[in-house]
Amino acid sequence: MIRKIIVLIFSLLLTLSLSGCGSSPTTSAPQEGNIQVVDDLGKTIVLQQPAKRIISLYSAHTENLFDLGLEQEIIGVSSKETYPPASVKKPAFDYNGDPEKILAQQPDLVLIRPFIQKSKPDFVKALENANITVVCLYPENFNRFDDYIRKLALLTGKETVAEEKLRQFHQQLDEIKKTTSNITPKKRVFFESTETEYRTITPDSIPANLLQLAGGINVAADAKAVSKESSIASYGVEKILARAAEIDVYIAQSGAMNAGGSPASIKIRPAFNEIKAVQQNQIYNVDEKLVSSPTFRLALGTKQLARILYPEVFDSLAPLSPQTTLSRQELAEMVVKYKHKEFFSPTSKHYNKTSGHLYGSFVDIALDHPAFHYIETAVQAGYLAGTGNNFEPDKAVTRDELSRVLFQLADVKDTATDITIKDRSLCEKPRIVELIVKNQILTLDQQKQFNPSATVSVQEALAALNKLPQR
Amino acid sequence: MKKIALYFLVPLLVGLLLTGCGNSATKDQAKESQPPAPQDKKAILVVSFGTSYPDARKACIESTENKIKDTFKDYQTRRAFTSNIIIKKLADRDKLMVDDPEQALTKLQQEGYKQVVVQPLHIIPGKEFDDLKAVVDKFTADKAFDKLVLGRPLLGYQIDPNNTKDFDLAVDALKKQLPSLKEKQIVVFMGHGTEHESNAAYQMMNDRLKQANLPAIVGTVEGSPTLEEVKASLAKLQVQDVTLMPLMLVAGDHANNDMAGDEEDSWKTQLKKEGYTVTPYLHGLGENEAIQAIFVQHTQDAIELLSK
Repeated sequence: MIRKIIVLIFSLLLTLSLSGCGSSPTTSAPQEGNIQVVDDLGKTIVLQQPAKRIISLYSAHTENLFDLGLEQEIIGVSSKETYPPASVKKPAFDYNGDPEKILAQQPDLVLIRPFIQKSKPDFVKALENANITVVCLYPENFNRFDDYIRKLALLTGKETVAEEKLRQFHQQLDEIKKTTSNITPKKRVFFESTETEYRTITPDSIPANLLQLAGGINVAADAKAVSKESSIASYGVEKILARAAEIDVYIAQSGAMNAGGSPASIKIRPAFNEIKAVQQNQIYNVDEKLVSSPTFRLALGTKQLARILYPEVFDSLAPLSPQTTLSRQELAEMVVKYKHKEFFSPTSKHYNKTSGHLYGSFVDIALDHPAFHYIETAVQAGYLAGTGNNFEPDKAVTRDELSRVLFQLADVKDTATDITIKDRSLCEKPRIVELIVKNQILTLDQQKQFNPSATVSVQEALAALNKLPQR
Repeated sequence: MKKIALYFLVPLLVGLLLTGCGNSATKDQAKESQPPAPQDKKAILVVSFGTSYPDARKACIESTENKIKDTFKDYQTRRAFTSNIIIKKLADRDKLMVDDPEQALTKLQQEGYKQVVVQPLHIIPGKEFDDLKAVVDKFTADKAFDKLVLGRPLLGYQIDPNNTKDFDLAVDALKKQLPSLKEKQIVVFMGHGTEHESNAAYQMMNDRLKQANLPAIVGTVEGSPTLEEVKASLAKLQVQDVTLMPLMLVAGDHANNDMAGDEEDSWKTQLKKEGYTVTPYLHGLGENEAIQAIFVQHTQDAIELLSK
């Protein structure tokens, strides 16, 4: 009874506050009922004005809202947020919990996806009964991504930002597509979406489309969805093995929701050694957050897929101009490409860490910095380090720093040779410089000086990389 | 609504099918050996944390289980894992059904086993061991078997600074897996570490290694000595080259990521940052035959307790 009264009071307050805002004499305010969106359950949603108090119960919605610049308007998120880093700090709400907690926040928009509607209909009903606008969205097919983003934008008054974001997104995809369209022969790929029953993806799913843009040929293009509206498709061991000789690359998505196997476990599955990709050690994981979740980071996922399929093209170090002085951001890109290291994408566990660098915490590297993902990947892998909360992307790389990075990249061992480094004491880690010089990866000048504070050119760094012992 | 019903029904049916399989499998196992007279049906339950790495499971867990099985032929040897996450993962992924200790003991009870030894493959008597002991105590209180005995972990039932027998034997076994080391080279063992009082085992192991004059030290991921303390020891010893070895039954997640991973805070990265040359050794203690022999001996000791 008390609950009902609370709900009543809140809905009353909400109605009052909404009508209050609606009648305020701002010229830019849209007309009443101007915003109309049909959600993915076929329900028509009418808003008086763009939503200002939004609770998102699905991580992809949250990520997209942040990308549309709605950090202020988001008052609550799901309990499974990982990106952007700011989303993790927002108050979390759980559709397995009490709907009253959401009602208490007086949101003017609650975003869900069909999965929530299906699994917790009573929860959704409780919100709707309290006159909360609940919108259910999820683009199951890649073709519906733009439409989905536009609906989010319409609900929140961010149409202009959305169009610009979509333009940039498609530009990034087009660039990758343009590069891969010239590559022959194309790699043939099996994409494992779940480890259980070795399922794959439907041909119109998001990962299947990215795979195509990345220049991969899906060998399981004949796969049928496990259920209507699902992007997961049945396949199974017999069909995979029937195509064993065709599969150049085996890609399994990794993550919390639907995850395929790890390379180690795929390798030893019975009869999987018949698969060409297994024989040639071409088994990779790719984060589901980057290739399945409908966000703008799908462009990064596409790039990751292209790097896996055609490393000689997408991890090529040739585009760096050789004569220029090497900057720290160029070095970050260089080492990630050299190691073919998968782009780092944070898990929720990452945000619990108590020491070391926290994803996205460099104050001088914004999320939209062009080298953001190379820098984060290099730092998370321990190849490079920042100085506290700064990365100093434009700072020139010194020989001293380069020696430390080179040492992390490869298995450099001591040798029997004796050397004298006259300015040894000027080096931050003399032992590392000694090992790098002993292995002739970097050399001394004629006066037997290492010159640790001297800068290096791109060319010198590339030459040093080529001298590293191979794995 | 029908769909929702399906969501519940399908897992239920699958669950029923799976348990069906589990039962038939154990029946098959039982058939393998001669059916013993019911009054002396005897079993050994080998309990480990488990691992989702298939190759590590074979090399570290199965190998030790098999040693026990081959040594005590008149016992039925069974497996249990204590990690529910791993049990679930193996069931979902590999259709590999593994019981937890309680399930395994319940089955043995139902099948009429009278004498049971529970032999853990744990390194220290920590929280995992306490939990296992609680399960065993419960079956004892219920008088589920005529005799039920719990064997001891690698380093003993409890950590007692005045009784180093198990430690000395373990050090002898570890010696067998040390590479031939030159001057300025050392092995760093990475133990799990715990907030449990049994964490004292790691410092005690350090003392025994020193006593035995072996070029090896011990650190832990989650307890002490910490990596920082390991670094301080290395600096003091003036070594230059480190071989990293897991002081764990299995070379699994901790060994592959926390110890040897290309990750900012892995031991490999952190030690290389200081200028040490680092070689990770990705093999669990379960691969060491001398360690396997210790677990066989601990099983033997527990069997002797049965007849008391």
